Amino acid sequence: MAAAASPPTGAAVAGWTMVSVLLQVVGLCMFLYGFFPVKPTLPGFSGVESYRMPSCGSAGGGEEPALPPDQLRSLYRELSEVPPVYDRLVLMVIDGLPAEFVLGRDGKPPSKEMLESMPYTQSLLTGCKAAGYHAKAAPPTVTMPRLKAMVSGAIGGFLDVAFNFNTQAFLDDNLLDQLHMIGYKLVMLGDETWIKLFPTLFCRQDGVSSFYVKDTVEVDFNVSRHLEHELAAKDWNVLVLHYLGLDHVGHIGGRQSVLMPQKLKEMDDVIRRVHNAVSNLQDNLDKTLLVVVSDHGMTEGGNHGGSSCEETDSLALFIGHSVESSYCSPYDQNEALQVDLAPTLSLLFGTPIPKNNIGVLLPELFNSLTDDQKLRTFELNSLQFLRLLQAQLPAFCIEDCIDSKNGLGIDIFPGSVEKKLCHLLSEAFDSHHSSRLHQRSNFKSIEAGYYGNAVNAYNEFLRYASEWLSHRATNKPFYLLVSAISLMIISCLFLMGIVYCLFKGKSLSQVEHHSEWNLDKHWHLDEVFIIMGIFLYVISLGSSSFVEEEQYTWHYLTSTLYLIFLIKTTQSVLKESNSAAVGTERNVFYANNCSYVTSCKLIPSKRDGYKLCTVLFILISGRIIRAWHQGGVNWVHFSDISKSLAQADSSIVKALQLISVLAVVLLYSVSLLLLRPRKMNILIVWLSHLFCGILVVLHIWQSQINTSLPAEHSTTSIAQIFFVITSISVTFTFVASPWIFPIHSMEAESTSSGSNPKTAIHLQGINHSMFLTGITYAAFWCLLQLLLQQPINAIPLLLIFLQMISSIIHFSTDTSLHKKWVQIVAMQFLGLSGHFGLGNTNSLASIDVAGAFIGISSYSTVLSGILMFIITYGSPLLLYLGMVVYSSIISSDGISTTEQLKWSCILDKMITLPCLLPLLVNSIALTSYTIVLLFMRNHLFVWSVFSPKYLYVCAATVCTYAGVFVLAVTAVYIVIVLSFRMRNYRDKSI
Amino acid sequence: MVDEATQVSAFGAAAVHALCITGLTAADCFSGRGALVSDPAHALRLLVVFEAPLVIAVFSLLRRDPKRCSFLKAAARGLLGLPVGALLNAFGAIVLGAPVGIKYWTATTYWSLLMSLFTFVPAACVFGASKVNWQNVLSHSNYCRPTNAVDYMISAPAHGAVIGAWLGAWPMPLDWERTWQEWPICVTYGSVAGYLIGMAISLLLIVVTRKRRDRAKAD
Ligand SMILES: [Zn+2]
Ligand SMILES: [Zn+2]
Repeated sequence: MAAAASPPTGAAVAGWTMVSVLLQVVGLCMFLYGFFPVKPTLPGFSGVESYRMPSCGSAGGGEEPALPPDQLRSLYRELSEVPPVYDRLVLMVIDGLPAEFVLGRDGKPPSKEMLESMPYTQSLLTGCKAAGYHAKAAPPTVTMPRLKAMVSGAIGGFLDVAFNFNTQAFLDDNLLDQLHMIGYKLVMLGDETWIKLFPTLFCRQDGVSSFYVKDTVEVDFNVSRHLEHELAAKDWNVLVLHYLGLDHVGHIGGRQSVLMPQKLKEMDDVIRRVHNAVSNLQDNLDKTLLVVVSDHGMTEGGNHGGSSCEETDSLALFIGHSVESSYCSPYDQNEALQVDLAPTLSLLFGTPIPKNNIGVLLPELFNSLTDDQKLRTFELNSLQFLRLLQAQLPAFCIEDCIDSKNGLGIDIFPGSVEKKLCHLLSEAFDSHHSSRLHQRSNFKSIEAGYYGNAVNAYNEFLRYASEWLSHRATNKPFYLLVSAISLMIISCLFLMGIVYCLFKGKSLSQVEHHSEWNLDKHWHLDEVFIIMGIFLYVISLGSSSFVEEEQYTWHYLTSTLYLIFLIKTTQSVLKESNSAAVGTERNVFYANNCSYVTSCKLIPSKRDGYKLCTVLFILISGRIIRAWHQGGVNWVHFSDISKSLAQADSSIVKALQLISVLAVVLLYSVSLLLLRPRKMNILIVWLSHLFCGILVVLHIWQSQINTSLPAEHSTTSIAQIFFVITSISVTFTFVASPWIFPIHSMEAESTSSGSNPKTAIHLQGINHSMFLTGITYAAFWCLLQLLLQQPINAIPLLLIFLQMISSIIHFSTDTSLHKKWVQIVAMQFLGLSGHFGLGNTNSLASIDVAGAFIGISSYSTVLSGILMFIITYGSPLLLYLGMVVYSSIISSDGISTTEQLKWSCILDKMITLPCLLPLLVNSIALTSYTIVLLFMRNHLFVWSVFSPKYLYVCAATVCTYAGVFVLAVTAVYIVIVLSFRMRNYRDKSI
Repeated sequence: MVDEATQVSAFGAAAVHALCITGLTAADCFSGRGALVSDPAHALRLLVVFEAPLVIAVFSLLRRDPKRCSFLKAAARGLLGLPVGALLNAFGAIVLGAPVGIKYWTATTYWSLLMSLFTFVPAACVFGASKVNWQNVLSHSNYCRPTNAVDYMISAPAHGAVIGAWLGAWPMPLDWERTWQEWPICVTYGSVAGYLIGMAISLLLIVVTRKRRDRAKAD
C-alpha cells in the first residue's frame, strides 16, 4: 500500500480514537462535577446552640454533653422562650395526592365529585378548623427525596436525588430524629421507605412495599388495620401513616380513574377516624396536631417524577387547635413550599430546626401564641438560616452587618448577595428590637404596628434567604464548565478529523484501484440528508419542547432517511430495468459480494423485490413503533396502541409476548440454518437459545399467575437461571466461533469464483464467525429484553429486531446502492428511534424501575442499576450488536486485490467505520447538548427538562462506548484467532 | 431526443406557473380568510378542485410526444395519476407520522390529492409511462446538467413542495397550542410555500440554461 497518500493505518486510527474517547470522558466528568455539584450539607444535629446568636468566624457550635431526653426537652423549652404548641403529632402522608383535589385551584373549590368524595375534610376546611396549603414540591417528584425534604427541610442536589434509587438510612439533621432525641416515641405504619430512611427510630412499625403498583387495596388495608389499636394506645407521640394506594390508583388509571373517588373516600374516612380519636381526648391535656400531606402530585396520566405544576402541587393540611379561627376562606390559593413543613413542625413541637433547613415557618400555625412569642419563632428560624448562610458564605457575619449599618449609613441598593442579606437581616432584628421595646406601651395600635413591621421584615429576609439557599445548589463554576466543554469539542474535532482522513484516503485509493467508482464522487441525497438531519437535531436540542418530544425528531429523521432509501432503490430498479446491459455487467459484480443472509443465486428481479420489501417493512414497522407509545410530555395523554392494549384483556398482551419470543427463537434458528451447521457447537448454542426462550415463556406465565402475590421466588429463580445460561452461551459462542469454521473447505473453493481462492477462504472464515457471534448476541439480547421489559413492549422489541435484520438484508443485497457510512448511520438512527419506541422519554419518570428487580433476590444497587440501563438502552444496544452481524457483510466489500489481504487490512475494513461513526454521531450529540446546557443553565426548565435529558445523553454515551467496545473486541478476537489458525495451517502444509 | 418538439420559452414557463398560482389564489379567495385553519378539509377540497383542471390541462399541453399522444390521452393520464400520486403521498405522510385516526381521513385524502397535483400529476401528464424520464425527475442530478425546460418546470416545484411539506411538519410537536399546528395545516402551508419557491427556481434555471445555450451557440 502506498504509505503517503493512503488512509491512516489501523493502529493510528485506533490510537487517535482512544485519545478522543479519553478526552471526552475527562471532559464529561469535569462537566458533571461542575454542573451538578454535590451540595454541601452541614453535618450533625442542631442543639442548644441554635437558640443563640451565632458568633462570627466559627460556623459550628461547641459540642455540648448529651443530655437525657427529658432534660433536653425542658432545656429547649427554656431556651426557646416559646411553649410547645402541640405534644402529639399524627403525620398522615397520602402518596401522590394533588392538592387540587382538596383545595381546588386558583381560588376555586375543587370539582363537585372531589368535594363529595371527601366530605369530612371539606367540612373541616369550611368550618375553619383546618389550614390547607399548596405545598410546592421540588423536582424530582419521587417519593423518597420528597420525604427527606419534608423532614429535613433541605433540597438535595440534583444528582443526589436522581441517582438515589437506593434508599439508605438518612443521616442528616431532621425533624424525626430531633423529636426522638427529646424522648418522643414514634410509630410508623405504611410505606417501608420510612423504615429504610430511619431503621432504628420507630418503636413500632409495619412497612408495606410499594413494589406492586397494581395493588390498590391491600397496601392501604395493611395500614388501616392497625389504626384502631394505635389510636387507642396512648404511648406514642408521633404517628406516621403513609398511604400508597392513591398513588397506585393514579399509576393505573390517571387522575380521572374510576377508583379515585372511592380511594379519596377511604382517605377521608381515615382522616375522620383519626381526627375524632384525637379530639375526643379532651380530658387529656395532650394537644394533638393532625397533618395531612402528600409527597407529590400526579400528572393527568397519573405519573410523577417531573416538575410540571400538576406533579409539584402537593398538599399540606394542618388540623389542630392553633389553626382554628372564626373566619376563613378555605379555597384561597395558599402557596407554600414543601420544605416549610420542617421548621413549622420543629417550632410547634419545641425542637431545634434541622440544620440544613431552607423552609420558612408558616405563621398561621402559631395563632395561639402571643405576638412576642410569634416574633421569637421568626427569630429562631432566622438564626438557623444565619448559621446555614455562614457555612455557605464564610465572609458573612451579622455583627459586621450591624456595625456597618450603625456606622456609615445604610446601603440602599446593596450590590452583593451578602449585603442584601445583611441588610434584610439587620432590618428584621431592628424592628424586632423596637417591637420589644414598645411592648409595654399603652397603645395597642402602636404595638400592633411594630409587630407587623417586624413580621414583614422577618418574612422578607426569610423568603429571600430561602430562595437564595435553594438556588445555591445551582451555582456553577463557569471556567470549569467551559474548559470541560472545550475538551469535548476537541475530542469531537479529533473524531471528525479521523473520519475525514479516512474518507480522503479511501477516495484516493479508490481512484487508484477502481476507476469505475469515480462516477460516485458527487454527494447523494441520503448523505446530504444525514448531515442536514444531524444539524437539525442539534438545533432542535436548544428548544425545551423538542427535548421533551424528542421521539418525534428521531422517528421523523429515521423514516425520512429510509424513505430516501426507498426512492433510491426504486430509482436503481428503474435504472436496471432500463438498461439490461448494465444489469448483466453488475451481476458479475454482485456474485463476488454474496453473503449468507441472502443466497448468492438470487435472480435480479427477486433481488429487487427483496430490496424494496425490506425498506417498506422498515418504514411500516417504524410507524407502528411510533404509534405504540405516544411518549413525550405534552401529548402523552393522546391515545396510542399501548394504552388501548392496557385497557384490553391482559391475555392479549401475554399472547403478543409469546408471539415475540417465538419469532425471535424462530429467526435465530433460520439464521443459524443459513450457516449450514454441521457442527455440534452450533447445535448446542441453538438448544440453549431455545431453552432460554422457554424460560422467558415460563417467566411470562408465572408472572401472570403471581401478579397479586408478593412472594415470587419461582419467577426470580427462573430469571436467575436465564441470566446464567445466557451469559454462558454467549461467552461460549464468542470464544468458540472462530475455531469451529473450517479455514479450508470445499464450499469456499466453489464460491470463490476463480479470482483468488485464498481471499475467499480467509474472508469466509471471518464472516461466518462474525455472523454467528453477532446473531447470537442479538438473539440472546432480544430474549433478555423480552424477559426484562414491560409486557407491553414485546411487539416493539420484536419489530426493532426485525428492522435490524431487514436493514442488514437490504444493505447486503446491494452493497453499492448506499455508501457504507450511510448504512451505519442509518442503523444507529434505527436504534435511537427504537429507544423512544420502547416508551422511553427524556424525563426520569419513564424509567422502568420495576423491571430492574427481576431476578434479583437481594437488594443490590449495582445490579439493579445495570438492569435498568439494559432495559432503558435495549434498542440502541441491539442495533450496536446488529453491527457485528453487519460487519460480517461489509468486510468482503471492496477487497479484491491480494495486496490488501492482510489481517490488519481486513480488520480495518470491517470495524473502523462501524466503530468510528457511532462514536462521532454520539460525540456530536453530547458536545452540542453540553453547550446547550451551559447556555440554558439559568433557564426556567433547567432542572426539569434539560438536566434529566443530560443524564440520558450521558447514559447514551456509555451505551455507545459499550456497543463499540463489544464490536471491536469481537472483531479483533476473531481476526486474531483466524490469522493464528491460518498461519498454523500454512506451516503444516509447507 | 424529443425535447426540441416541446421546447418552452421562459415566458411560456412563467405563464404556466402563473396559471397554477392563479388556481391556488382563486381557491384561497373562494374559501375565505383563515379557512385552512378553521376547516382544513373544506379549504383543501377547494384547492384541489380549482387546481386539478388547471394543472392537468396545462401540463397535458406540454406532453412529451405530441405527435403520438393526443391531448385527451395526456389528460387521462393526469387524471389516472392523481389518485396514484395521492396514494404515494399519503403513504409517505403516514410513514412519517401523520395521524391515521378516522377524523383525519378526509383531510389526509385532500392533502395527498393536492400534493399529487404538485408532484405526480404534471409528470404523469407529460411523461406517461416512460421510465427514463421518470428516473430523471426522481433524481436531483438533472439540476447539474442542462436539460429540458419542462423537466425543470416539473421537478423543481415538485421537489420544492415535498421539501416544504417536510420542513412544515417540524413545528407540529411543539407545545404552542396553536390550531395551525394540527395536521395537515402547517404541512400544507409548507408545501405551498415550497411549491412557489420551486416555481421561482425553475424559472431561474430556465433563464440561466437558455442564456448559457445561446452563448454556446454564439461561440
Ligand atoms: Zn410518592
Ligand atoms: Zn408513584
